[in-house]
Order: sequence, then structure tokens, then C-alpha cells
Amino acid sequence: MDSNNDEALDIIVTNVVATFRTRCHLNLRTIALNGINVIYKPEFGKVLMKLRKPKITASIWSSGKIICTGATSEEESKLGARRLARCLQKLGFKVNFSAYKVVNVLAVCSMPFAIRLIDFTKNNRPIASYEPELHPAATYRIKTLKATIQVFSTGSITVTGPNVQNVATAVEQVYPLLYECQKPLCKK
Amino acid sequence: MASTSRGEGLSLPRVTCPNHPEACLVEDYRAGDMICPECGLVVGDRVIDVGSEWRTFSNEKALKDPSRVGDAQNPLLNGGDLTTMISKGTGAASFDEFGNSKYQNRRTMSSSDRAMLNAFKEISTMADRINLPRNIVDRTNNLFKQVYEQKSLKGRANDAIASACLYIACRQEGVPRTFKEICAVSRISKKEIGRCFKLILKALETSVDLITTGDFMSRFCSNLGLPKQVQMAATYIARKAVEMDLVPGRSPISVAAAAIYMASQASAEKKTQKEIGDIAGVADVTIRQSYRLIYPRAAELFPPDFKFDTPVEKLPQL
Repeated sequence: MDSNNDEALDIIVTNVVATFRTRCHLNLRTIALNGINVIYKPEFGKVLMKLRKPKITASIWSSGKIICTGATSEEESKLGARRLARCLQKLGFKVNFSAYKVVNVLAVCSMPFAIRLIDFTKNNRPIASYEPELHPAATYRIKTLKATIQVFSTGSITVTGPNVQNVATAVEQVYPLLYECQKPLCKK
Repeated sequence: MASTSRGEGLSLPRVTCPNHPEACLVEDYRAGDMICPECGLVVGDRVIDVGSEWRTFSNEKALKDPSRVGDAQNPLLNGGDLTTMISKGTGAASFDEFGNSKYQNRRTMSSSDRAMLNAFKEISTMADRINLPRNIVDRTNNLFKQVYEQKSLKGRANDAIASACLYIACRQEGVPRTFKEICAVSRISKKEIGRCFKLILKALETSVDLITTGDFMSRFCSNLGLPKQVQMAATYIARKAVEMDLVPGRSPISVAAAAIYMASQASAEKKTQKEIGDIAGVADVTIRQSYRLIYPRAAELFPPDFKFDTPVEKLPQL
């Protein structure tokens, strides 16, 4: 069964979230005072450091755990994380780059057709859920891939999953279901 | 005559005749004795008679049945405890000289179910505020009990879970209430109720039907005081609008509100957007947006037998 039709669908990865550890205690005050492009948030106990080159925002905790968001691809995320660790090293901490893991990938995709959400939800009863009062999109969760797909009536969908491969598989899985519930282009 | 005992196989202290341990004791209910049939020895005395205390005749019109004591039990929900609670006490005699009540508060009769009983009370209060019938309240109580026993949502505020159960019960009975309506009678925010709603559906592994515009028509229209004709017209308009897919991605409530606006403006009973927005819990700009989407095809949306007070051309255009 051909999942994508003749034209391939563009899956654009918009956000990659990764965590890693520096294996050493970090003094947030030092980072806040001496680092460049940092925002100190004492009420949350973390420092936000924004990098320009891969456009990345990192939340740094004093325990040495760092969450890195805003990258547009997995390689970029790794690059940004390493650059960040290098930054901290230059500030004087004995950084040991370890336990790098991509936690979440967010991608958007646009179908060439509009979708009838009510029919889509009815066909996929327990897996899909649609609450128009709460959110205008229908959520479809694939347990095996641990991916969540939000389907909007305009035909755009957002997919979140643990890595880029899962996200692509999820789109392929859900495409036939969406194709069934598409809105005919010609309006009376 | 005397009734035979059941042999008392249930309880541990087996009362037997010392001379004839194998003999089944005979109960003499009039004297309240247990008698050994072999030798006639009275073994147990002061046996409590569990028969009824008064004679009641079937043709006597008794407003209350005196042989029943206490309220109807609710075994499904409470686990059936048979304790008696002493109430606060009315009248002057129950208070001592300082004004404190003489009998201090009753001990917690079922501490394990205390939170559940509190929640039931809260559910009853909330339902009373919006005049929900008894069947919805019962369903809500059942849902709450199921969720409570599962303990998967233990950390959440009980009131939030109760509100979400009320919302689900209304949906399941086919008379959904909007989240905003439930919010109005509960102290919990809409966000929290929505979160609990999703969690409960996952915990109980149920799903609910989607809301349609027609579910709310009768309630909104009667609150606005619109006649039946207008209500039927609004229902028809909303249904057609959704079928013709003029309002993709709009909440059914907003579409319903816009339909009511259109129908009321075309009839003699004109209502403003603000009034409708107040009743439906929708912002009037939202009604305006949805109205703009259905306005171009207004002529097709009205039911064929509708009597126009204001013709379609003269409908307000915003």
C-alpha cells in the first residue's frame, strides 16, 4: 500500500528537545554573572542560556542536568549541546559531556486536502480524541511508536515523537486514515 | 409457634447444651430463650427478637411505614456500614451553659469513605445549582466511585474529579453541558476540569460521543425566551451549516450561538450578540466570527417553512 501519493509530503522538523549531563555541580550564579546571553531564574532554580549559532535555548540546573530546546534537527541539537558544554567549560567548570539523549521531536506536515475531523474521530474511536471546547485539533496517539499526532481541520498536522524516525513512521501510518476523511475540494 | 434456629454455624462461640453438645437448639421467641430439645435446659436467654415492633395493616393508610427505621441504604456507594449517627441536636436542652453543644461531634464513622461522601455531597450541590435530574447525579456518583477506587488520579483535587465526573455523566446521558457551565457551578478552573476529564476517560477506558449543535439549542433558546419556531429554525440552521461545512474548525457552541443569533434576528424576537454570548458562554466577537462565515449562505440555511419577520436581505451584516 502506498502511503504517500505521487507527491511526497514535506515533514518539517521544527523542534528537537535533548537532555544531557555535565557530571559536575554547576554554580548558577557564576554562570549568570560571567556567561553571555544568559537569563537567571532563581525562582525556578535554573539558568537559561541562548546560543546564536544553532539557535538553541538551554535550561541549566545546578545539578548539572541540561535540557536543550529549539534545534531544528538531531545533528544540530547535538552540535548545540556540545557547544554549550564547551561554553560552560570555558567558564571554568569541569564539564564531562555525558548521557546525551534526544527526548522529543516536533514536526509539522501539511496535507494537500482539508480533513473532516468529526468523521475522522468517529472512524478511529478509542485512539483519536476530539474535544472542540478544549482544543480545535483531534489528537491521535500511537502507542507502539509513542507518537502523538494532532490533526487540524485545515489539513495541517503536528507530530511529536521520541525521534525523527518515529515521526516519519507515524505520518505514514496516519496518512491513509486522513485520506479517507478528506473534504472534497469542490464546494457546492 | 417457636421457630427453629439455623444451627448457628456462622458465629464462633457456639452455644450448646452442656449435656447434649450435638443437639440443635430450639428458639422460643416469645420468651427469648434457646432451649435444648433433649433435656429442656434453657441454654441461651435474652435472645433479641428481630421481628417488627408494630403491627401494620395493609389497608391502613400510613404515611410512613413504622417498621422501617432509617434512611434507604446506598449500598452501591458506601460499602454498607450500619452505624447510627447521633445528630447535632435541636432545642435548648442540647446546649450547655456556655453555648457549646453537649454531645460533641460524632466520631468519624467511616474514615476510608469520608472523602467519597464529601465528594458526593459536593456533586449533589453542584447538580442542584443547575437543576440536574437524579439519574445524572447517580451516574456521576458511580463514576466518581470507580475513579476513586482506581486511585490512578489520587493526587488530583477531589472537587476537580467530581466536576469532571459530572461533565462526563451529562455527556453520557445525552444532555451535555459545556465546560463553562460546569465551571460556573464549581470552584475549579476550566483547564483543570478539562485535564481531569481526559485523565478520567483514560483511567476508565471509556469514550464519549462528540457534541453536536443540537444538544444545546433547547437550553439556550429557553434561557433567552425564544419561541419554539425560532428554536427549530436555529437548530436547522446550525445543522445545515455544519453539513455544508461553512464553519470548519469552529466549536459547536459558537456555531450554535451564531445560528441562534441569525434565527432571532430574522424573527420578531431579536436578541443581541451580547445576550446570546452571555447565555452560551461565548464571547460576542466569536459569535461575530461564526456569523460572518454563515451569513453568505443565509438564504439556504433557513428551514423552508420559516416565517420571516425580517427578510434575509435585511439581516444585519457585521
